[in-house]
Amino acid sequence: MPATQLPVSAGIGLRAPHLTQIRTERPAIGWLEVHSENYFVDGGPALAALDAIRSDYAVSLHGVGLSLGSADALDRAHLSKLKRLADRIEPAAVSEHLCWGHVDGRHLNDLLPLPFTEEALEILCDRIDKVQAALGRAILVENVSAYLRFGCDAMAEWEFVASVASRTGCKLLFDVNNVYVNAVNHGFDPRAYLEAIPASAVAEIHLAGFDASGACLIDNHGSRAAPPVWALYRESIERFGPKPTLIEWDTEIPALDVLLDEAAKAQRMLEACDAIAA
Amino acid sequence: MQSLRELQRAFCAATLFGDTTALASLELVGGSLQAGARIEVYRNNILGNYRKALAATYPVVRRLVGESFFSAAVEHFVLGHPSTRGDVNRYGGEFAMFLASYAPARDLAYLPDVARLEWAIDQANIAADAAPIDVDALAGVPIAAQGSLRFTLHPSVRLVVSAYPILRIWRVNQPDSVGEDRVDLGEGGDALLVRRGSGGVSIERLGEGERALLAALAANTTLADATAGATEAEPGFDLAAALRRHVAGQTIVGFLAPPPARGKRT
Repeated sequence: MPATQLPVSAGIGLRAPHLTQIRTERPAIGWLEVHSENYFVDGGPALAALDAIRSDYAVSLHGVGLSLGSADALDRAHLSKLKRLADRIEPAAVSEHLCWGHVDGRHLNDLLPLPFTEEALEILCDRIDKVQAALGRAILVENVSAYLRFGCDAMAEWEFVASVASRTGCKLLFDVNNVYVNAVNHGFDPRAYLEAIPASAVAEIHLAGFDASGACLIDNHGSRAAPPVWALYRESIERFGPKPTLIEWDTEIPALDVLLDEAAKAQRMLEACDAIAA
Repeated sequence: MQSLRELQRAFCAATLFGDTTALASLELVGGSLQAGARIEVYRNNILGNYRKALAATYPVVRRLVGESFFSAAVEHFVLGHPSTRGDVNRYGGEFAMFLASYAPARDLAYLPDVARLEWAIDQANIAADAAPIDVDALAGVPIAAQGSLRFTLHPSVRLVVSAYPILRIWRVNQPDSVGEDRVDLGEGGDALLVRRGSGGVSIERLGEGERALLAALAANTTLADATAGATEAEPGFDLAAALRRHVAGQTIVGFLAPPPARGKRT
């Protein structure tokens, strides 16, 4: 029987280079997350592999292309592919991003920043309502990194994010790295962010590395999580309680052991947090 | 104040097309970094995503032209061919057509056909699965009705025809290829069957008769007409051997017998 909730433990993002090793070695890891769009296919080896993985692990479907914050109408074709996949895989969680990606039908295929306005909030909540109705379940939505802010912002990012959860009943995928990247890029105290987020709304946490070689921090998922991100993670689970935590790595993907090592570190912190709470 | 749609339009114009009026309308704020540099981060990310996606689909094209040529071609392609899906994995079906009219690639006449082959491989890899043909039911079709049979090909089947030896070009440009990597463009063209079997996607050369047969069957032509076409293309064409091979290899996975003959769609 597939798990309907993510275990409160550390998991890793499943990427193609590690697929065979995970299937043969079945490492002791709490759960796996995949990018939904990589399985928007009619058949073939990738889908067959996901079916097999699903019988060994709880799986989370993490979408990057639904574009919940576009002024365009919701992309129904994309949503129906997501529903088809969710019906097949019966994932423990389905998540998306608080961003936009297409305008006038042209897709930019990136996680683009929204202005924090009432209009954007209303559009976002409307789309989330529709997605949750179509999938018949609450989804998780993730805060994204941003390299710019708009002059028309009417509220802080954390007010915007907390409002999305309270208005739609969706859950939050709290990306600690993205909070840190934005705190540095836009000069705010990440603790203000933490304090604005209701613990009960947080259903998952993401950890990843950023690139600090340029003029602003870039969320490139290409290294281990940085020390200040680990510190913020500790504060996050102290505030929210232990939550399912994922190690994400998308560029210059290292050996599986490196990801498992990062996950083990998160797992130790989750257990320490649990012990304090108990 | 700009509506969300206006803001998103301006963002798109500023990132992809370097529209400075659009950039100014966004009223970007804060930080030490100039607005132009901030929008440039997004431009790089967006183009980088497309470059990665197309490099995954067209590794041989990329290897043939080199990284910087490939990047420039992708950038030109992206501006003229808007992505219409949130799934970037499926982007780039018109890349072969684009390369055929891309001036810097003018001297690489075989390049669009190599791209068509790579797209066919990509599509074959994600096509639906299919059960093998019901051999007993096929054997039960009366001889008199056989000419009226229409066959169903496996959903992964793609036929790629080129005036250039694209299979050899493709093979010598695989990462694990060793030995001679020069290809004589004068050695002749290829008619290729791309399909997915239990061992993954395979590519094989077709003779003239097989090529005509499979193209006709793919177009839902009756076996009699398809056979006539194949024999015309290749005198002495061995139909029975070709059918056996493509049924056993699951290129052919179903058939439709005409009423009132008995038979069934599988």
